[in-house]
Amino acid sequence: MDSPPRVTIALDAMGSDHGPGEVVKAAATLSLSRPDLTLVLVGDEPLLTHLLSQDRYDPGQIAIRHAEGFVSMDESPGAALEARPRASILEAASLVASGAADALVTAGPTGAAVLAAARRLGRIRGVRRAALAAVYPTEALHGPVGDPFALLLDVGATTSCDARDLVTFAALGSAYARAVSGNPSPRVALLSNGAEPTKGPDEVVDAHRLLRSADIVDFAGNVEGLDIPKGTVDVVVTSGFVGNVVLKMLEGVAELAADLARDASGRKFLWRMGLTMLGSGLRQLQEMTDWSQYGGAPILGFERPVIKAHGRSRARAVANACKVAAKVARADLPREVERALGRVGEVPVPPRGGPRP
Amino acid sequence: MSREVRRVYRWDLDKTYLRTEFDSLSRLARIPFETADQKVNVPASAALLRELSSPLPGEPAPFVSILSGSPLQMRRVLEEKLALDGIRWDEFVLKDNLGNLVRGRFRALREQVGYKLPALLRSRAALPPGSREVLFGDDSEADAVVYSIYADLVAGRLTVQDLQRVLRSARAYADARSAAREALSAVPRADAVEVVFIHLDQRTPPHRFAALSPRVVPVFNWFQATLVLFARGHLDAAAVVRITRAWLEQAGVSPEVLANHFQDIVRRGHLPAHAAERLGLLVSEAESTDAARRVVWGCVRRFRDVSPGPRYRAPSAPDPLPDYALLVDRGLGAEASPTPPAEGDPAT
Repeated sequence: MDSPPRVTIALDAMGSDHGPGEVVKAAATLSLSRPDLTLVLVGDEPLLTHLLSQDRYDPGQIAIRHAEGFVSMDESPGAALEARPRASILEAASLVASGAADALVTAGPTGAAVLAAARRLGRIRGVRRAALAAVYPTEALHGPVGDPFALLLDVGATTSCDARDLVTFAALGSAYARAVSGNPSPRVALLSNGAEPTKGPDEVVDAHRLLRSADIVDFAGNVEGLDIPKGTVDVVVTSGFVGNVVLKMLEGVAELAADLARDASGRKFLWRMGLTMLGSGLRQLQEMTDWSQYGGAPILGFERPVIKAHGRSRARAVANACKVAAKVARADLPREVERALGRVGEVPVPPRGGPRP
Repeated sequence: MSREVRRVYRWDLDKTYLRTEFDSLSRLARIPFETADQKVNVPASAALLRELSSPLPGEPAPFVSILSGSPLQMRRVLEEKLALDGIRWDEFVLKDNLGNLVRGRFRALREQVGYKLPALLRSRAALPPGSREVLFGDDSEADAVVYSIYADLVAGRLTVQDLQRVLRSARAYADARSAAREALSAVPRADAVEVVFIHLDQRTPPHRFAALSPRVVPVFNWFQATLVLFARGHLDAAAVVRITRAWLEQAGVSPEVLANHFQDIVRRGHLPAHAAERLGLLVSEAESTDAARRVVWGCVRRFRDVSPGPRYRAPSAPDPLPDYALLVDRGLGAEASPTPPAEGDPAT
């Protein structure tokens, strides 16, 4: 069997909450287990070299690109990038832009990643705004492989958007689900406060009409909040503001469930026995809701793959983000999205606030 | 033996020169029955040793010593193998495992410190004091520690009492201890050991060797050692190209992988950036269709691209000397290394 084409990943080593140690560990582990990947660690070279030399690694799979400084979580991304033009995220994005790397992975701040990608990589033709996508576990399985995860976007790359942006997000989400989840025809829906096409704010109503008229994605109409955990569709599209609120709420509910279980096990012996008997099931559930498994959130809309790992990512999560990045890099996502968005151009966009059908 | 000052290259065999698989019983059982042509080299080991054993202009032929833990009974096949590879040697020391077995010295079958240290010191005693040495070993046993102790003994940084403490810690037999003491007394003190190369066969993290001295250079392959030896004047650029060619053929790696190995050895401070640049100048000077030459040149170019503003940081020497007895006791080989954590696949 032919080996998959080699993928080079530019890995911003500096922005994570845990510092570069976990990112370096991820690169070291991948260098030994994934001969099809080259990892370019971007950051303070002496520090990264020192950290790397404390691990087992294959030097043939790893390079280090020196960068001066990085953007931390508590900084304004725009100002920080202005002040540090050789910051790790910008250097990593430059490597991808120049073709020296195929994909970018970062555990640094989302804002800095979006800005750096916008400055260095350029957007796919027809895409005005990038979207941050998140995978989340659902009751229903998705696609022929029975993927337990669905995709929600945008979850925070932008705060406001119009109908055309939502349509773009739908095309991006659909292409991503095809590439990464192996789902040949993902069902896509808009998040609204009712299933009827006239429900929701103007941009959602307009986007609904556009998606119904143009053959862009397998459009399933609107879904409501309660459909998200049920997994009635494979891709849920919404604005960054709403998406971010939804995502945080989902995470909060999962944490609350875990806290409640812990609390219950401490209260009564019988409850503890019950939870112990459910142990393997609960562990499975915990595993499924563990974001470190997801492999990071893709920032979609750029010419090259950008994967944002959680700021609190440990080595395993960063490694998984790199694997996802490689998968996306091997799929021709930008051209697919371009083709889909080309079809939107043929459909007239109704003026904001105009008469609804 | 001639009393002329010569360069000295000492090599271990298993996992240093030969790709010996001790990892399973079936492989272990096969070793004694292998013929010379069935033995497999660590990529480019033969090319490197061949280049090193050729005299440099105006110098006498280097002294090549092979010191291996393989049993005496394998001498014929091992000598045949070296001859097949075109290697000439001046000294070939093997372990008397049968003798150890007959005398019930079971500890000595595996133990390396009490075997290698006296052998190294005996060999050194027969050489002129000015002879400079480069040593080659691996991370599967205690080579790094044994060679470091040897270097510090010859340099006079360790005393005969230190030697005895180390040997006791290694649980060496009394006759090995007295042989080592006797050999040391005949060794003129000189800072003779220039470099100790440790082939990271088990991928032991390089930092683990920082406890020894900057003299110890952990390398992932003989291509990296070749670059260091070029920087130190043991090899010229043409030899680097020839060894690189052998490594590319035997290891089957891409130029990109090779370039990453190149960057790794520079980054870890063992190949000064100016030496890397000098090599680039030498291999790019002559117009050539030689693929290996172009690959070496490509390494230098990529190094410039990926690491703008390289900064050479020579590793610093530990002060005071490491507690060798403790290191011998704990082991500094692969057995002391943690295994990498298992990792799951991404969910999407």
